[in-house]
Amino acid sequence: MFHIRRGLALASPGFLSILVLGFIPLSVIVVWSFWTWDPSSYWIKPDLSLDAYAAIGDAGRWKVLVWSFGKALLASFICLLFAYPAALAIHFVAGPKWAFVLMAAFTVPFFTSYLIRAFSWRLVLGRTGLINTWLINLGIVDEPLDWLLFSDFAVILGLVASYLPFAMFPLLLVLRRVEPSFLAASQDLGAGFMRTLFSVILPLTKPGIFAGFLFVFVSAVGSSTEVQMLGGAGASMISIMINDVMRVVNFPLAFAISSVVLVALFSLVIVGNAVFGLTKLFEDFK
Amino acid sequence: MTFGFEQRTVRTSIWIITALALLVVYLPPFYLVAVSFNPELQPGLPALSDISLKWYRELLNERGLFASLRQSLLIASVTTVASTTLALCAALAYLELGRLRNAWFLLVILPMFIPGIIQGLSLSVILNRWQVMPFWGTVALGHLLWALPFAFIVILTSMVNVKRSYLLAAADLGASWWQRVTHIVLPLIVPGITGGFIFSFLLSLNEFARSSYLVGRQNTLPLTMFGKMNSGTTPTIYALSGLILMLSIFAVAVFMYLAARRTRT
Repeated sequence: MFHIRRGLALASPGFLSILVLGFIPLSVIVVWSFWTWDPSSYWIKPDLSLDAYAAIGDAGRWKVLVWSFGKALLASFICLLFAYPAALAIHFVAGPKWAFVLMAAFTVPFFTSYLIRAFSWRLVLGRTGLINTWLINLGIVDEPLDWLLFSDFAVILGLVASYLPFAMFPLLLVLRRVEPSFLAASQDLGAGFMRTLFSVILPLTKPGIFAGFLFVFVSAVGSSTEVQMLGGAGASMISIMINDVMRVVNFPLAFAISSVVLVALFSLVIVGNAVFGLTKLFEDFK
Repeated sequence: MTFGFEQRTVRTSIWIITALALLVVYLPPFYLVAVSFNPELQPGLPALSDISLKWYRELLNERGLFASLRQSLLIASVTTVASTTLALCAALAYLELGRLRNAWFLLVILPMFIPGIIQGLSLSVILNRWQVMPFWGTVALGHLLWALPFAFIVILTSMVNVKRSYLLAAADLGASWWQRVTHIVLPLIVPGITGGFIFSFLLSLNEFARSSYLVGRQNTLPLTMFGKMNSGTTPTIYALSGLILMLSIFAVAVFMYLAARRTRT
């Protein structure tokens, strides 16, 4: 039935595009990150050096890297805390009609502008924004709260709002693979809801939880708009640091930062796939 | 079977968290849409009697926006056709690849995990070395890699409807591969292909990070909007953002509704 040669022929246009537009440029910048800046040509020359990597240690750049990963980690956990119960609601609690409406509601934001959604938080969190107006009208505070906007709080909120739908999709896929008979057995054996949740449902859905984490984490690490729109003065993120380095045309440093991020992310994807079997999530597609 | 989900405390807490999740995702954009109908300069909720299309009318006078919009529409159209075609081939390949399919799947979705700025930067540097001047085509190339995995997943999802037995039966009756694809597979995955079109178009139209290194002299719409958002905002930006949000939500919602109705019948 399978026809490997036909499969490879069909795969070739996609494979070539991914190779030429993705893997070749990325591999090249990893190689170039070991070259040196040449002031005479405004470009780099093939003198192998680790200067660019050493420069990551300067000017607090490594701190930006650590903070970016930290913020992304926090955002991913918060997203999962919201997305997991929401996925349970769609899969187990809601009737078919509501399940569909909720699924649609969590799919739509995928395809709306992240720029506009981050921007819209300014209207909600600003000094004269929705939340401060409410707080003042209700008499909870006298002065508008300043830390709501242009702060790490705003950035985390923006990241959670932007990437929460990314966590939903793998969770819903993995919940479909949970055998109802396992849950019935657990109930028959006298397990309460919490016991069933923690000893049966959670372990069975680990691949989906990891995939959801990964989708949010990767998007948040690479995000730029949320920090640019909502971060305070001096707030940085990896993407912004790369932009700043490129503004002074320090190519090797920009490439070195990119390489560190790429290696970290791809290792995470590959190790995660080996441990949790991400591709298994999609085996329903036959 | 309800497995304990029928308990009141369980249901209530699950619904409250779901409602909170929806609130975090939808409150700001909906508030922005409401603000865009407020004729006042100061952003805030309009009173029902004040609702006006003032800022939407003023959008028509913003010549600069139209050039960016045209540029973005051109890029999105090219990206859409290219990515859906490639995704369709990739999905048909997935059907044929047997044991290789998991590796193939992982390879096609891998570009989803490349941060936008890094992808844009690397592609622009390489194109620059190859003496390709940045223009709308270079942006489309960058968007293609971003839209392809999404179009691929949407088309694969609709391939659940293609039962192996249909294809085996057709093969037994002497149908060639081409006949099986055109008579069986394609009609069954029309929703997936439509989805690939809509999603690729929206992803490209709204893409920001990948574009910044790849644009030529004419900015795309999101880049122009980013500039406007950060320099003394006039309320027309709310109207423009509101318009784009409403159109995107409408397009995806209609698609999902039609796709669901199709699978039910």
